[in-house]
Amino acid sequence: MAFLEQLSGNLVQGLILGTVYGMATMGLSLIFGVLKVVNVGHGAFIMVGAFVTLFMFNTLGLNPFFAIPVAFLIGMVIGLFFYYTVIKRLLRAPELATLLATFSMGVLLQEVIKLIFGSEYRGYNWDIATIDIGVTVLPLTKLLACFGSVAIALILFIWFKKTRSGSAMRSVVEDSEGARVCGVNVDKTYAYSFALGIGLTVASGVLLTMFIPVGINPYMGGGYTLKAFVIAVLGGLASPYGAFFGGLVFGLIENGSYTIFALLPGVEPFALTRFLSFVILLIILLIRPTGILRAK
Amino acid sequence: MRHQIQKYYPLIPVLAAYLVLFLIGQNVSGTWQLVATLLFYCCLGQAFNIFLGMTGYVDFGYVAFVGVGTYGMALSISRLAQYDLPGPMIIILGFLLAILLSTLLSVAVGAVALRLRGAYFAIATIGVNEGFRYLIEGARIWNGSEGIIFFSQLNEILGSEAASSLSNYWADIITLFIAALAAFITLFYMRSKIGFALTALREDEDAAKVMGINVTKFKILAFITSASFAGLLGASSWALKTPYVFPPEVFEIHYTIEAIIIVLLGGAGTLLGPVFGGLIYGLSKYFLSIIVPGFQLLIFAPVIIIIIVAFPEGVVGVWKSKIKNEHLKKIII
Repeated sequence: MAFLEQLSGNLVQGLILGTVYGMATMGLSLIFGVLKVVNVGHGAFIMVGAFVTLFMFNTLGLNPFFAIPVAFLIGMVIGLFFYYTVIKRLLRAPELATLLATFSMGVLLQEVIKLIFGSEYRGYNWDIATIDIGVTVLPLTKLLACFGSVAIALILFIWFKKTRSGSAMRSVVEDSEGARVCGVNVDKTYAYSFALGIGLTVASGVLLTMFIPVGINPYMGGGYTLKAFVIAVLGGLASPYGAFFGGLVFGLIENGSYTIFALLPGVEPFALTRFLSFVILLIILLIRPTGILRAK
Repeated sequence: MRHQIQKYYPLIPVLAAYLVLFLIGQNVSGTWQLVATLLFYCCLGQAFNIFLGMTGYVDFGYVAFVGVGTYGMALSISRLAQYDLPGPMIIILGFLLAILLSTLLSVAVGAVALRLRGAYFAIATIGVNEGFRYLIEGARIWNGSEGIIFFSQLNEILGSEAASSLSNYWADIITLFIAALAAFITLFYMRSKIGFALTALREDEDAAKVMGINVTKFKILAFITSASFAGLLGASSWALKTPYVFPPEVFEIHYTIEAIIIVLLGGAGTLLGPVFGGLIYGLSKYFLSIIVPGFQLLIFAPVIIIIIVAFPEGVVGVWKSKIKNEHLKKIII
């Protein structure tokens, strides 16, 4: 019974973490959907968000929630900068070029952050309250991060469905040539989709720090790149909502499998969970690269 | 016969470059360490080029093959030292095990990942590195996260004097041979059906398929070849030089970045490219580490971006297109 209680507790935690994972992957899927560019440096943009939070909390003494819009704007600016200097020139180049370019952008961001903040692990301490829900104890910060993610996902959903720029973006995802013929400014759509994708990713870094407040360093992004790929592929790679639900599924798998691996003797459960996420990635890519959550 | 030999003339500048490097290291005192590093980078580029350069697929998990190669040598030395085998035989077995492990891993990865294309392939491989590292740590394979330290066993099987000359000198000579062999295989592929098939698939995979080329077969061939050279390199340039392995160190994605920079800088898919790439990268890294220690990547990351945007053909690619002399044209490829 103790095991079941622990499992259900961990699954609740997983679901809450999953909303943030989902939000952290929406930017990746958005950029792939619109520009057909895979952002291999994804994790580094998340890391930038984490450092924005750290700076605002430790130096300016501001609540991490204020960091969300700031991180989002910083991300938009970085996104626009990289779009006009690099991505725009590579849209017609072979895939190899954009893969390496986004990868190098990630490395560049890491090094810039390392130059400013140094490479040691840092953290901040934002302890407000905890809530006991029976099977597990939840820090309020995690719950707030979860609500924040859901709210951002909802805003994005409404924006997609109800605004002109949102529907322009959807039309480019469907068929960029067709959209161009119908008078959609495809180049501009590319630019703001990329900026929006990066903005969302950097903002998600803020929310993620509420789960790992002490694990912030310039190289923290690598693990999230891999996780984001698993999640994006779960959700069909080109759909931001698929990604959001992929995040929920991934959070459940990660925490559920950790609980089970912890029962096995002679293994390191944490490392095995990360191995499992790689195996899941390969299996989905192999049997259904369009994603398992996407009805086709 | 003459024609057969002529086909291999382009090896001359490659081998000449390696010979010059070797002679500098031998005769100018205090340069051997630098030469050894340059040889490592040239060899890494030469090996990675066989896959990235010839197929145009980006393998972000490449360093995993170097890592398992290192493990191959480490396992051979640490596990066989207790038996009464001659030292050199254990080293040779180590190299064979390195090839075996990297080939096995590349077959396993290739069987899954090479069915995918472009972005999907890159996504699948980006996890290989970490996936394999976490498998070793998580399931505690090969001592798990404690790694293997085999310094004393290396001394035991060879005697401390021979072990030290192996680490400081012969390991680099072996790396030189591996680099030369990788260059030879690259040229052999370029000059045979394999090279034409790979060029066709790099330019347009669908068209190549329609023309009746078994693209999967050639992709897997290039992948395995490239991986086994990486395994050999790990065994010589890593395991023999620094007799210990820890999973986080040998599966560090950093080395994949270096391999990509070298191949792109020199010119992907060219024979001479990795030599130029390795030398330029190795030397600039060496001098940057003196001028701005710890921040070499801050300089290299924008450099890669500029190369990709401004001249994707790399140094040798640009040079090749500018050559007027007919004889030179034949050997600079």
